[in-house]
Amino acid sequence: MPVLLNRLVDEAASRDPGAPAIRCDGDTLTYEQLARRANGLARVLLETGLSRGDRVAVWLGKGLDVPVSFYGALAAGATLVPIDPKSPVDQAVRIMRATGATHLISEPDRRAAVSRALADCPDVAQVIGLAGDEATPVPCVTWETVLEQASDRPPDVQVLDLDPAYILHTSGSTGLPKLILHTHYGAMSFVDWAASTYALRSDDRLTNHSSHHTCFATFDYYAAARAGATTVILTPAVLMMPGSLSAVLEREQVSVWYSVPAALVQLSLRGDLEARNLRALRWVLFAGETFPGKHLRRIRQQLPGARLSHVYGSTEVNVCTYFHLPETGDPVGPLPIGKACATTRTLVADAALHPVPDGEVGELFVRGSTVMAGYWGDPERNREVLVRRPAGGGLDEVYFRTGDRARVLADGNLAFVARADRQVKVRGHRVELEEVEAALLSLAAVEEAAVFTVPDGEGSSALRAAVVVGGDAPPAVRDMLADLRRSLPPYALPSDIAAVNALPRTPTGKVDVRALAGQLIEGKTRDGD
Amino acid sequence: MATDAHPTPETSEIEGRIVEFLHRELLEPGVTIGRDADLLSGEVIDSIGILRLATFVGEEFRIVIQPADFVVENFRSVAVIAGYVVRALAAHGPGDTRP
Repeated sequence: MPVLLNRLVDEAASRDPGAPAIRCDGDTLTYEQLARRANGLARVLLETGLSRGDRVAVWLGKGLDVPVSFYGALAAGATLVPIDPKSPVDQAVRIMRATGATHLISEPDRRAAVSRALADCPDVAQVIGLAGDEATPVPCVTWETVLEQASDRPPDVQVLDLDPAYILHTSGSTGLPKLILHTHYGAMSFVDWAASTYALRSDDRLTNHSSHHTCFATFDYYAAARAGATTVILTPAVLMMPGSLSAVLEREQVSVWYSVPAALVQLSLRGDLEARNLRALRWVLFAGETFPGKHLRRIRQQLPGARLSHVYGSTEVNVCTYFHLPETGDPVGPLPIGKACATTRTLVADAALHPVPDGEVGELFVRGSTVMAGYWGDPERNREVLVRRPAGGGLDEVYFRTGDRARVLADGNLAFVARADRQVKVRGHRVELEEVEAALLSLAAVEEAAVFTVPDGEGSSALRAAVVVGGDAPPAVRDMLADLRRSLPPYALPSDIAAVNALPRTPTGKVDVRALAGQLIEGKTRDGD
Repeated sequence: MATDAHPTPETSEIEGRIVEFLHRELLEPGVTIGRDADLLSGEVIDSIGILRLATFVGEEFRIVIQPADFVVENFRSVAVIAGYVVRALAAHGPGDTRP
C-alpha cells in the first residue's frame, strides 16, 4: 500500500498534472489544480490550529469544493467528517458535537445554517469557506484566502495506514446517526480492490451520483483518483431530470457508473436512453437494494455495451461481496450478492458464530480489511457488531455482524434473504423504521405510530405510516408531514400517513405490521366502522 | 372529445395553476414560491416531488411529457414549465396523446 488517501491526488498530479480530475456543470479541476488547492486548504487547517486526527466537518452542497475539502482535510492529517448536504441544522449539530469537530468547511450559501449550528457546537474553533459576520461566533477564512495558499507542496504530516481517515454517517433520522470510522488502510483496501476489479484507467470517467457523505463516494472519488481518472459530479438539478442526466452521461462520455438501482430505474424509464450515445459506458455498478428483474432486463437492452455488477456491503464494510452479471442471458430469480471480494472472508452462521450448512439461512458475518474500525463513540454497539471468534493460539478473529440474513447457493454465490432487523432502504438511503416511528410519536397529537414499507413500483420502497391521534382537533396529514420535515431527512418521510382508530397487535402486544399493511393497502382502516 | 371544453389557457393562468398545486401538495405551509424560483436546487422539492409535479402538469394541461422533454431546460422554474406547456399545446393541441 504505497500511497494513502492523503497523497492520492498529489500522486496522480505528479503522473499527469493536466489530466481532468473533477468535472461539474462544465467546470474542470485538473489533478494539478486539485492538488494545489487541497494543499492550500491543508495549510490553512494546520495554521488555524488543526492537529493530526482532529475532526474536520465538511458541510457543502455538491460542487468542486467537495473534493478540495476532502483531500485538503486528509492532506492535513485530519479525520474527515462529511455531512449530508440535506441534513437539517439539528442533525449537522449532532454529528459535529458527537465527533468533536474542531473545524467546519462550508460555503456562503449556508451562512445562516452555519451560524445557527455554531451556537450549539462549542468545539468548532474555525470555519473555512465563508466570511465571518456578527452572527458567526468563531474565526472564519474564505475560499478566496484558501486559494491564495494553493501550493505544489503537501504539508509534512506523518499519516499511518492505521490512522483514522473519515467518519461517515447513516441516516439516523432522530437522535444520533451511526458514525462509522474507517482507517486509511480500510479505505485504500477498498480503493485498490475496486480499481483492480473494474480495471479503472486514467481515461475513465466516473460519476458522483450519490451524496458525498455515503460510502458510494469512496468509489466515486478515491478509486477514481487512484487510477488518475475523472469524476463527473452530478448536481441535484441533473439528478431530478432523467433526460438531462442521460445527456450529461453522453456529453461527458461517462464510462463507469455506480448508484442505487432506483437511480438506474429512473434513467431507464424516463431518461430517453434510446436517443443517447452511451457507448463509452463499460461498467454499471449498483448496490443498496435489490434490482427488480423487469427493470434489469430493460436496462441491459438499453445499455448493450455495459457490463453490470451487483455489489453488496453496508457503510460499515464498504463493499464485501460482488456479482458480475453474465455478459449474455438474464439471471433467473433474484440476483445473488455474489462472492467475497479479495479483501474479505464471509461466514454464514448462527448467533454463536457457528457456520450453518451450505444452503441454509444464517446471519452473514464478514471479516476483512475494508471493515470499519468501529462506530465513533459507541463502545456498546461496537461490542454488538464487531464480534470475536477464536482463531487459535489464544487469539481471536474479528467479524462484523451485518444484520443481514443470507445463504450460500449451490454455485457458491451468496444470496441475500432479508434484513435481520427493521432497517430498510428507501431509494438507497438507510432508514430505521423505529426512528421514523419515534419522530411521529414526538408529535403532540400522535399517540401510537407504526411505519412499514411498500414497493414503490420502481424497484425501491416507500414508507407508509399509520397513527392513532388523540385530542379534539386531530392534525391534518399535511401538518404532521410538515412537522416531521423538521426532524427527518426527505427520504425518511412517509409518503402517506393514515389516521386509524387503533393499530392491530400480535398476541404479545407488538404492532402487527403485516396486518396493518394489509388493512391500509386494501383500504380497510377502522375509520367509519 | 372534450377538447372544446378545454381551450388553451393563458401563460399566466398556467403559472397560477402550477403555483397553486405546489402550495397545495408539495411545499411546507408558509413557504411561498415565485415564478422564477429554482425548483431543481434540491432544497425546494425532492425528486419524488418533481415526478408528482410532472404528473400534475401532464394531467392538468392534457399533454404527454415525452422522455426527451424531461430535462432541466423544461422544469427549472414555474415560468419555464409554463413556457414548455405552451409550446407542447401549440405543437399538439390539448388532449392529444401522440408522441
